[in-house]
Amino acid sequence: MAPTRDKFTIHSRAVVCQDVELRGDITIGAGTIVHPKATIYAIVGPIVIGSNCIIEESVIIVNRRKEIMRIGDDNLFEIGCRVDSPAVGNFNTVSTRARIHHTVRVSNFCIIGAGCLLAPTEDEVLGDYTMVYGPAAERRKWSGRGRVQEADLRRKHVEYLREMLPKFNRVRRGDGM
Amino acid sequence: MTPSVQYHCPCLASAPVPPPPHLPSSSYSFHPLHTLFFCEECDAIRCNRCVSVEVSTYYCPNCLFEVPSASVRAEKNRCARNCFMCPNCRNTLTVVASDPPDTGDGRLTVPVSTVGEPPFYLYCNHCRWDSAEVGIVFEKPTGLAAQLQRYEDSAPDSLEFDRLKEHFEPFLRAASLPSSLSSSMAHPGSVVHPSSAAHSHHLHSSSITAAASAALARDIPGVGKYTPSLARSTSARAGRDRSVNKDEMAEYRSRLDITNASVVGGGGGDADVEFIKRVEKISSVASLEQRWGNSWATSLRTRDIRPQRIPLHSKRSKRCPVCTHILIKPEQKAQSVRYKIKLVAANYLPAITVALPHTFPTPETVKRGLGKPASASAANDRSNVALHPGESYSFHLALTNPLYDPIQVRLATPRVHATSSSSGTQEKARRPPFGVSIPTSTFTVAAFAEAWEYDEDEEMYWTDEEEFGGVGSNRGSRNKEGKSKAKAKSVGVLEKRANTTIVGGEVIIGKEARGRLKFIMLVQYTYRSDDPVPSESGEGGGADTKASTNKAPETKTFEFYTVIDLGEIIPTKLDGDPDG
Repeated sequence: MAPTRDKFTIHSRAVVCQDVELRGDITIGAGTIVHPKATIYAIVGPIVIGSNCIIEESVIIVNRRKEIMRIGDDNLFEIGCRVDSPAVGNFNTVSTRARIHHTVRVSNFCIIGAGCLLAPTEDEVLGDYTMVYGPAAERRKWSGRGRVQEADLRRKHVEYLREMLPKFNRVRRGDGM
Repeated sequence: MTPSVQYHCPCLASAPVPPPPHLPSSSYSFHPLHTLFFCEECDAIRCNRCVSVEVSTYYCPNCLFEVPSASVRAEKNRCARNCFMCPNCRNTLTVVASDPPDTGDGRLTVPVSTVGEPPFYLYCNHCRWDSAEVGIVFEKPTGLAAQLQRYEDSAPDSLEFDRLKEHFEPFLRAASLPSSLSSSMAHPGSVVHPSSAAHSHHLHSSSITAAASAALARDIPGVGKYTPSLARSTSARAGRDRSVNKDEMAEYRSRLDITNASVVGGGGGDADVEFIKRVEKISSVASLEQRWGNSWATSLRTRDIRPQRIPLHSKRSKRCPVCTHILIKPEQKAQSVRYKIKLVAANYLPAITVALPHTFPTPETVKRGLGKPASASAANDRSNVALHPGESYSFHLALTNPLYDPIQVRLATPRVHATSSSSGTQEKARRPPFGVSIPTSTFTVAAFAEAWEYDEDEEMYWTDEEEFGGVGSNRGSRNKEGKSKAKAKSVGVLEKRANTTIVGGEVIIGKEARGRLKFIMLVQYTYRSDDPVPSESGEGGGADTKASTNKAPETKTFEFYTVIDLGEIIPTKLDGDPDG
């Protein structure tokens, strides 16, 4: 099957660095930061990324399905993580070198710990406040205490990057600009 | 398995000759070089199994606070500041403030919310456990250990223990005065090794502990009788030679009856059985890992586990068991990773690494990887590391001299197993038959110099062997005349570079050989001694040392045994070797 035509829609307030591998139909929302060396492949269906997300270096986000892959707002994808999940909610953190297969859908306020592999054979939805941690990818529910402060910190993180990244990197603009 | 070299410490053996290396029990006598110490006074190798260890500081691994040894016991060996372990994943907990009251929509403006609100709680960054889940919150973020103390102190086991201590206290006070004299007589070891204040309670006489154990061994309803013969005999002896009325004490009444103590849980009683019967999810039972760090038996329920204060670590110094000189002593400060005294064997004995050159694809890489043959061969794939019976292999031994003077080394492979008298023939039958040939003449390893550490070029360094004369110079000139010739032969000195000399050996494996190819190698080296001759008076203490009196008085000879492990001998059939 022929790959879809490249079509990048990048919000004017988003910061997408020049050295980013984009392919397919990709929409990036307001305030989202994409670091250099990140890879976003919409191989078949399009990818829509919400606002104020942070996508760090050598993150790989791939959509292998036909339907739209939706990533919500205020998510943090740390260095070297791999996300194939068809749906990601809001305020999630995917830690360094964690991997999420296309069978997992992520709700809100979930945290996938560093190096965890989520690859169930059957489709699964991670409920709100699910924590995945440790080498065996153990799970528990977070009480949600402290989430307001964390969200606040995330906003500041985004704001700082929005200010600093364009100073040291060339910034990519969407097709419409 | 990569080929390895281990050094022999003669501490456990009665004879200076090491045990045969193919016996499983021999592994206790052989150690990697980096774990060994060297006593300058005794001129002998010391290992971790023979040194005497004493604690020099206690510190918290998290906040690096040095805890004075007097308060270690009072604080129950745990950090009394703000360091806690997550009960769920044993990560370090942090103190965080609560969120400001939620506006309800989940979205908030960016206020000064990082300041947080008064109810503080402990929070795990790894698994997001928080202490509010088990109902532990704090009014202020300081002095948490004191605030948590009441949880700890209210544990039934803790209360019981305090009560026991209270019960025995008058007896201890009465007994401490007359018994202290006899106890120091009874334990001469306590005089020889001055123990620190934290360990002084070991000095109490056995009569106290005997009485305590007698009280503890008293019948408990529901618990089987525990009266080992040893405990009975010591208590009987204590009763005999002490005045009877002193040991007589009021009967101890426990705070809780053992039969209803299990209602609290964790004691393995009916309460726990009931709980286990009703378990629906495996996650509601706390795992063994989550519970065994606790000082007291705790509940089985996951929701009952509490944060623990972080256990203290200690820095230890080690002494030579013979002359009680300090071998290694860390700096007092917890932050420092340096040592005040450090007599490690790596600074005295030549470091030996062994490599099998047939595991390298080309001889060129052998040349290149000479500095670190072990790591280079580790990177190699496993298939060509194998040793097959009926083959002969050459191996390289790289000797690196840590001393500032050149050393003269002589290697030998003594027949150790022949000395093991009765079982000798039996052992020999099972021993993998192989023959080892190594260069037996003396060769030189040049002195260590810091400059060589940075030197990268391939130029050969030649030491002034002439001053040692004899065999060393012969060998040197033989090598000098042709490098290509040295490469052709496999037994002998192959290369000299900086303070490393590489010698080649050969091993011929018999047709019926199985198991690991291990052999003992005796390393004998002569070095120029800086000490004046009289210091060799203490020479007699070392087990396998001898002063070389036949040579010039300024040289000393030291010898030690090593075991060389070349790897597993793998039957040829598996690999389909043509000439197996």
